[in-house]
Amino acid sequence: MGKRSAIFLSIALAVCLSVAGLSSSSFAKEVVYLSLADYTGPIAGLNVPGDMGLEDIIKETNAKGGVDGVKIKFIGIDTRYDVARAVSAYKRYRRTPRLLVVNSISTGIGKAVARLIERDKRLQIVPGDGEFQAHIQRTFIWGPAYQDAFAATLDWIMDDWKAKGNSGTPVVGYLSWDNPYGREHLRGGKEYAAKLGIKFLPPEFFPPGTLKHDVYLTRLAKAGANYIHAGGVDPTPTNVIRDAYALGLTKNIQMTCDYWGPTALGIGVHAKALEGTVITSFYQRGDESKNNPFVANLWKKYRGSAKFNEVYGMGMSWGMTYVAGLKVALKAVGYDKLTPDDMYKAYQKLAGFDKHGIQGACAYSPTSRRGSLEVKIYRVKGGKSVPITGWRKAPDAVSLHKF
Amino acid sequence: MRPCGVFDKSYGLDIAIIRTWQHWAILISALILLFLFPLFGSYYIISFMNYLAISVIVGLGLQIVSGYCGQISFGQAAFMAIGAYTSAVLTIKFGFSFWIALPLSGIMAGLVGIIGGAPSLRIKGMYLAMATIAIHFVVIWLILHMEITGSFKGLFPPPPSLGGFEFDTDERMFYIIMTVMVIMTYAARNLVRSKVGRAFVAIRDNDLAGEVMGVNIYHYKSLAFFVSCFYAGIAGSLWGHLITVVNAEQFTLMHALEYIGMLIIGGMGSIPGVFFGVLFIRILNELVMFTSPLLAKAVPWLGSSPAAALGLVAFGLALIIFLIFEPRGLAHRWEIFKASYRLYPFAY
Amino acid sequence: MIEFLQQAITGMMIGSLYALVAAAIVLVYKATHVVSLAHGQLVAFGALFFWLFIGGLGLPFWVGIFPAFILTALIGLLIERLTLRPLIGQPLIAAFLMTFAIFLVLEGVFVLYLKGETRTLPAFLPEGNLDISGISVPINQLIGFLAALFLFAALSLIFKYTKIGLGMRATAEDHRLAQGTGITVRNIFSYIWVLSAIVAVVAGIATANVMDIYYMLPYIGISGLIVAICGGLDSLLGALVVGLLLGVVENVGAAYLDPLVGGGVKDVAAYVVLLLVLLIRPYGLFGLVRIERI
Repeated sequence: MGKRSAIFLSIALAVCLSVAGLSSSSFAKEVVYLSLADYTGPIAGLNVPGDMGLEDIIKETNAKGGVDGVKIKFIGIDTRYDVARAVSAYKRYRRTPRLLVVNSISTGIGKAVARLIERDKRLQIVPGDGEFQAHIQRTFIWGPAYQDAFAATLDWIMDDWKAKGNSGTPVVGYLSWDNPYGREHLRGGKEYAAKLGIKFLPPEFFPPGTLKHDVYLTRLAKAGANYIHAGGVDPTPTNVIRDAYALGLTKNIQMTCDYWGPTALGIGVHAKALEGTVITSFYQRGDESKNNPFVANLWKKYRGSAKFNEVYGMGMSWGMTYVAGLKVALKAVGYDKLTPDDMYKAYQKLAGFDKHGIQGACAYSPTSRRGSLEVKIYRVKGGKSVPITGWRKAPDAVSLHKF
Repeated sequence: MRPCGVFDKSYGLDIAIIRTWQHWAILISALILLFLFPLFGSYYIISFMNYLAISVIVGLGLQIVSGYCGQISFGQAAFMAIGAYTSAVLTIKFGFSFWIALPLSGIMAGLVGIIGGAPSLRIKGMYLAMATIAIHFVVIWLILHMEITGSFKGLFPPPPSLGGFEFDTDERMFYIIMTVMVIMTYAARNLVRSKVGRAFVAIRDNDLAGEVMGVNIYHYKSLAFFVSCFYAGIAGSLWGHLITVVNAEQFTLMHALEYIGMLIIGGMGSIPGVFFGVLFIRILNELVMFTSPLLAKAVPWLGSSPAAALGLVAFGLALIIFLIFEPRGLAHRWEIFKASYRLYPFAY
Repeated sequence: MIEFLQQAITGMMIGSLYALVAAAIVLVYKATHVVSLAHGQLVAFGALFFWLFIGGLGLPFWVGIFPAFILTALIGLLIERLTLRPLIGQPLIAAFLMTFAIFLVLEGVFVLYLKGETRTLPAFLPEGNLDISGISVPINQLIGFLAALFLFAALSLIFKYTKIGLGMRATAEDHRLAQGTGITVRNIFSYIWVLSAIVAVVAGIATANVMDIYYMLPYIGISGLIVAICGGLDSLLGALVVGLLLGVVENVGAAYLDPLVGGGVKDVAAYVVLLLVLLIRPYGLFGLVRIERI
């Protein structure tokens, strides 16, 4: 055997051994939560802090002895925004008897896994696609649907327009990612705008990772937009608004964002450009979230002095919902008979479950797949997002669209 | 794989793929085992094998155009998408049965592949590789912006059925996928040792010399792209009907790059190499995906999510190691093993 | 007309970023005939190192930029020494695939460090817009644009007049002949990767100035590669001209074609340009046409 072969074989052997050396451990009574998340791709900025919050809730629950002695196991799989990897990962755990909830973080993955979820009589949670409210199945969404939140933004726009002493209706522009997420808001959102009599400009779409958005912004501005809604998962909306600021558009045009808009991290550094931006959110943002005692305690305990991101709080609410659902399911059937279907039934009974103010009360029920109904409008002021309204119910825009 | 002392006694034996009765025995029992596998294999392994087999079909196609004909193509994922969408559109909108849609989707992908491979008539090597990347993005863009492909919503093809029997689980699809894979492997194995295959190799080794020798480059390059994309189309159709959802996010450039990675690791210009490469990359992927949560537990300061980033590093490092230490891939190792088995117990 | 000019100028500012990345790729190609996919990561790491010293440690611009140059150059050197040198003598496509593997490894490290977060460069250039008869140009981008032009001029001079530059060109022509004239080919390879990494850092800083440092940053490498190929891989002038042109085409295309096809022109504009160029002029607009022999 030559020297090269020897090196080659020893490297191969080392890789195999190091992989084989890792093995898992399990508790006596255990249920599983599977997260099909994108930790290294375009929406990692949302997934990483979200799953941190969830994991800490699970750690906290387990440290207190679990739910009626049942411990929760968290499995986080990096799908890299790739449907094939996610489906393969789900199939890996599909036959795990007490895998109760799957969190599929991407529209494409959610759709692909939904089919299997139906067959397995399991329960899936996905970001905010209104489609799952329109066709009631076993897929639940995290908060209000995208189109609901967008409709709430339009409501706020109408109020703001009138409060400024204008007559008539405003002109609203929309720009977002050129993918299913970017188009979802308009399925129902567009109809709602028509209902309000708002003049809705032709939407603009751009690929994620675009360097400059000047073309789209100037086109919307030229068409006379009074308000521009910038979609995309942060940092995209931050970059869009920075471009608008550089173009001098933010003086006359009010920028708005959906709930994946600028987080505390981005607002801190781009305070000047983002000043005045309005964000419609179904979970607490900025200092409000940071100072929420429930969130603050957990953050301090597990994350210490790291920079706070409010998506962490939203992740906690996944965990809280899971724990609450598990309690209901265990009460109904006990651990030995527990199946994923029981969790599905339990989730439908969670309406009214309080989430410590992080998010509006849970709205899951046999007819509702929305995680909560309320949104809060925030405005960026001096490098912080400050609430300008209380919790208000988002209009039902899903029912306006024919899916 | 022949032990010492077995010789070919006729030309027929010399060119046979399967040479001795032991080979036949091994092959037949392996096939029987393969088809009985769903009876005793675990669900996860079965679904994973489905995924492997589909990857093998795509890989075989790529091997023909890149490994044998020397035209590096990064468009394989896009052609797979064309196959998947063709099949979905035919079954949903035109009511075709899966059994007709399957070959048609291969042909459709192949025809588009001829257009997509057209740049190869003027350019080669790196330039062609970049052109295929461009084709990938154009195809995906068209899919996303056309009405018939369901644009952003995607399509939901039904599972195949035969006389009232629905192939709606992984275990059932296993039979279709494995049968197709075996047929496609057999076809590829034979194609590359025919006149066509030799023409491909001539083009790969030196296209100008090949042309001087009388190989019609244009014809054979187009043919190579057709065959390669036909394979990708078939695989795409199977994939679509297996997971019953087709959307453009399933076919990324990363997949196309992964298939090239499989050929590097498996070995360019070798049919068994495709199997080795697919196995290596897919198993590596699964290992990384499922050990990274454990790794995060073992090394808490990494945090659960960033441990996932190691998947990228592992894939990249595997490629680097193979490119430096074993550029001819695992297939070359396999050849060395075969040769030494043939000589055993004698040595040089 | 004003509107068209405005769009074109905005596109040119972005195009200068593409051109810088393309220049880094062209440099490597010129001396080693390796087409590199890894440069997107060099760009990202350059920006990240710069952020570490400017944003993280709070050093002033001119002090912070040198460690960034040195560290990125070190990565370039390591890439050349550890992964590409063993491939000398193998088909060039192997080297291309190697750079893809390097891209993956570096991307792993990049996301491992970022953990899904974003890094923002502090404003080290003057802000505000410059108004020239109705066309407004952000000053910080204009400075980046001028820096790019300056860099291109400097590189052209290096290749034309310095001994190292001439050595690089000779090496590109034929390794053995170059060796025969007393050029140490190995050293040339190292120099070129260092030089290329430095250009990548400039590109990285200029890009991070426009968009934050996050997951998508390395993918500007693909645009850079497209520009390099369209310009003809061995032509610096081609990289500059095509880079600016591509920026303009993307932007003007999005401005005038988007309403016709329902949006999303920016997604494919670059790829369509690439396909057209490859079909019409396979060696790029400014590339050297090579005649093959058996």
